[in-house]
Amino acid sequence: MLIRAVAISVGLTVIAGCAAPTRYIDPAADDGPVAMTMDYRDFEKAATDAVEDMLASGAVNNPNGGRYIMVVSRITNDTMQRIDTDQLTKKIRVALLRSGKVVTTTAVGLNGAEDEMSMRARELRDSEEFDQSGVQRKGTLQAPDLSLSGKILQRNHRVGKEQQVEYYIQLSLTDLASGLAFWEGETPIIKRGSDSSVSW
Amino acid sequence: MKRIVFASMLVLSLVGCASQPETSSSLIDRPELKVDPEVVYTMGVTELFQERLAQPDGESLLQVQFAVEARSDAELAWKVTWFDASGMMVKGVGESYRKASLLTGQTRYFKATAPHSRVVSYQLHLREPQ
Repeated sequence: MLIRAVAISVGLTVIAGCAAPTRYIDPAADDGPVAMTMDYRDFEKAATDAVEDMLASGAVNNPNGGRYIMVVSRITNDTMQRIDTDQLTKKIRVALLRSGKVVTTTAVGLNGAEDEMSMRARELRDSEEFDQSGVQRKGTLQAPDLSLSGKILQRNHRVGKEQQVEYYIQLSLTDLASGLAFWEGETPIIKRGSDSSVSW
Repeated sequence: MKRIVFASMLVLSLVGCASQPETSSSLIDRPELKVDPEVVYTMGVTELFQERLAQPDGESLLQVQFAVEARSDAELAWKVTWFDASGMMVKGVGESYRKASLLTGQTRYFKATAPHSRVVSYQLHLREPQ
């Protein structure tokens, strides 16, 4: 009985000792293994490519001066993974905001406002409970000039004994006045790995 | 009297010993190109250009282009760090290295655009991914 208990304890200790310790990963110096699914490095690459190309092309320079106002439209996820497309669009929004050329409106969206408070705050108008000097006046919200839309595609292939997963991140920046796409870009991300890897 | 002379000499000697604070400009000696020694064995940077892209609003953006020629099949990781006129880093979209594969004898060209018009200088890092 004692021998069995000691053996189990030793076994558990060995197993616990072999487990990889939890650690922080610095995104600026991450040479870790690559997953077949899309990870943060893929979104960062796509966002970097898109923003650098937008800036270099001059598409986000407002000829009338000042900043363009952008709204994020639909980014379709046509992959086998559950992706929150904000992982991509947020990086683009932040970088464009930092560039001083584009600001994003959160008051308009395909499925309602991203931040509903812009409208809710206006419901305080004519309320006797609130000091009206601080309540937003009519006609102050800014309509968007540009719309960012896109699609993330996934295609799987078998290459010999390996699996190839192709992701295409396609983005368009549409001028809402004319309906013309001022800028378009596509970032392919191709991964090849074990056929037993799961890409969904 | 002796005490005053002694105190004056002490004060003067202390003032003389005090060194001027170094200004930041005297510390700056930042090379534009930083190549990991391991990369040198497999490839070489053959071109490094920079230009300012004129923008319709009158401003301009710094753009950097470089060419790498591979002597053998190799992997490369690269990133550009951007700086403003004060030498302060200007954040781009991400911080991570961009990876590229090179075939023997292949010359590949890479380009990066500064995230803001206030960027005036850069540092290009090349290394071998692990």
